[in-house]
Amino acid sequence: MGNQRAYLGLARATCALGLVATLLTGCGSDGGSGDGVTKLTFAASTFGDPGRGPLLTKWLDEFNQSQDKVQVSAAAVPYPTFGQTVLTQMGSGKGPDLVRFDMPEFEAASDAGLVAPLDKLVDASKYDLLKQPDQFMVHDGVRHGIIFEASNYAMFYNADLIPTPPTTYEQFASTAKSLTKGDVFGLAFRQTEAEEAGVWQDIFNYVYGFGGAWSDGKNLTINSPENLKGLQAFKDLYDANVIPRGADAATFRRMFAEGKVGMELNNGGYVTATRGQNAKLNFNVAPIPFPVRKQGAILAPIVVNEASEGKDEAGTFIKWALEPQNQVKLQEILGASSVATTTQRSPETLKATPFLPVFDGLTETSLPQIVLGFEAKTPDIRKVVVQNVVAALQGKTDLKSALDRAQQQATELVR
Amino acid sequence: MRRFRFGVTARIVAVLVVLGVAVFPLYWMFVTALSSNSDLFADKPRLTPDLGQFGVFVDALAEGKAGGWLLNSLIIAVGTMVLSVGLGIPLGYALSRFSFWGKALVTVVLLFTQMLPEALMVVPLFALFRRFELLDSLTGLILVNSAFVLPIVALILKGAIDGIPKELEEAARADGARPFTTLTRINVPLIAPSIAATAVIAFFHAWNEYVFAVTFIFNPDLQPASVGIANFIGELGTPIQTVMAVAFLFTLPAVAFYLLVQKYVVSGMTAGAVKG
Repeated sequence: MGNQRAYLGLARATCALGLVATLLTGCGSDGGSGDGVTKLTFAASTFGDPGRGPLLTKWLDEFNQSQDKVQVSAAAVPYPTFGQTVLTQMGSGKGPDLVRFDMPEFEAASDAGLVAPLDKLVDASKYDLLKQPDQFMVHDGVRHGIIFEASNYAMFYNADLIPTPPTTYEQFASTAKSLTKGDVFGLAFRQTEAEEAGVWQDIFNYVYGFGGAWSDGKNLTINSPENLKGLQAFKDLYDANVIPRGADAATFRRMFAEGKVGMELNNGGYVTATRGQNAKLNFNVAPIPFPVRKQGAILAPIVVNEASEGKDEAGTFIKWALEPQNQVKLQEILGASSVATTTQRSPETLKATPFLPVFDGLTETSLPQIVLGFEAKTPDIRKVVVQNVVAALQGKTDLKSALDRAQQQATELVR
Repeated sequence: MRRFRFGVTARIVAVLVVLGVAVFPLYWMFVTALSSNSDLFADKPRLTPDLGQFGVFVDALAEGKAGGWLLNSLIIAVGTMVLSVGLGIPLGYALSRFSFWGKALVTVVLLFTQMLPEALMVVPLFALFRRFELLDSLTGLILVNSAFVLPIVALILKGAIDGIPKELEEAARADGARPFTTLTRINVPLIAPSIAATAVIAFFHAWNEYVFAVTFIFNPDLQPASVGIANFIGELGTPIQTVMAVAFLFTLPAVAFYLLVQKYVVSGMTAGAVKG
């Protein structure tokens, strides 16, 4: 009798596990298509942007409607872990077919052989590519990417709070101080290790804007006097309490859109995002008022995953994206950013956004936020620099010691 | 009489304070979700929800795929809970009752796995799961979550079984019961509170897990809510109200589950504290 009960219990347990297994089997992915249509995934963190994401998805829909053999769908990968996630997937021979990378991750991926050469997929000579940003897409004569978005950094300011924009760093600092009252802050920038990539983008403008550089092309120059000067200017603003300390970019950008932040250094892509958050905000743009007219640029290439089984079809998508009418549509979605090819801004666009020429005028003096000569090592160097700069901001060490330490650690990394 | 009233009042105040501390984060999420842009960064924050903004919940469910994310999270969490508890009971029983070569080593290894961060295991597990075609499936996430939570489940249940007098099993065996029957008929009912406690641990681990979910899933329709919420964090902006609305919805099933089993969990935590 006891044995019968035990067997009955065992049978019940087996049935329950079988039921669970059946349920779980039904939860898997469907794998792919069997109707002759190649389905590709395109991973880009911009798909998550409230202002641009939905428009980019519609742009993809236009491609899908124009094709009967290839379909591209947006792969949602959260921005905070985008590079790490996609590189992990690609490194293991999987991941999205098309990827919109930021430059540091693009360099790391192409150096690791994770990015497919594009020369056979796309004849770049057929297109009027923007030379200055496009030069960074080719490594040792091999094309690894096509510019998806090129966006120069400028100073955004709330025109209701600041009728005349500052033209020197001293004016910039004093404006920030005079505006900071109650729940309004004069300025905002990223200052926490949690936003490593963002801090790197922000301090890039201070380093290069004060005549510094991360390297001379052969050696790292992280602790050079010019870098120290630029980062001291950054730290002075932090110490002056003119920024909402602790607020992340998402928060202080919402604050800017609500008129609670006076100034922000950001790239052209921010125009659409700001309008998406508050269409009534009266803001304007001017060049960053630092001593040297040199600033960062967001270069975001689109690449084909070396592990993709649909490389040719991915090439079809890139060629579609490079067609003039689709470039114009893409540029309108991306706001004040440039795209891969030379496009004309329409009078209507210029009327709606009169400051667009400010961004265009900065192209020749803008640099991608990578360490020249050490491109593939940029993510590692970035981590070291940001950790040390944040430590200095938080008063754990003085800035000079922090930069000396960063120089030493980064040099060991690239040795 | 006055002392009695003071005591009651003090207790009520204490209960309200504790309740406030526990419930306030949830309430604040709800208020933030139902705040206008201008209220969000106002000098004096809004303390009550603006019900006129309720559309944010509708949008999150209709356009933001929040319903699908929550369903995926539920499947992953329940699957992990069933698998890890289902395997943890016999494992805990074996560790408690049987002597075998390397038993101490197995226990140490189980403890050791709890010290490894998930991020360290992502790359090797990704390669392994790719080989077994477990990527991009909820089954894969259930397996990986179970692997991480099983050691702690087994060790807790081992401790609970340790507290059951062996004489009970010996009596059952004298009546002809086999080890499986002894486990299911004698031990399981007695350690039910501990099983409930481990079920909660497994459920919450899988419910909140992010690193494996974001790396192993490519299909947006299979993403759990932990990843879905992060998708709102864009490069240039984050719709805070939408994030809070989805986060609020994400919290409710977990809270409901905990309320369902909390009385068992409490008794599970104290089980074996006093031995008669």
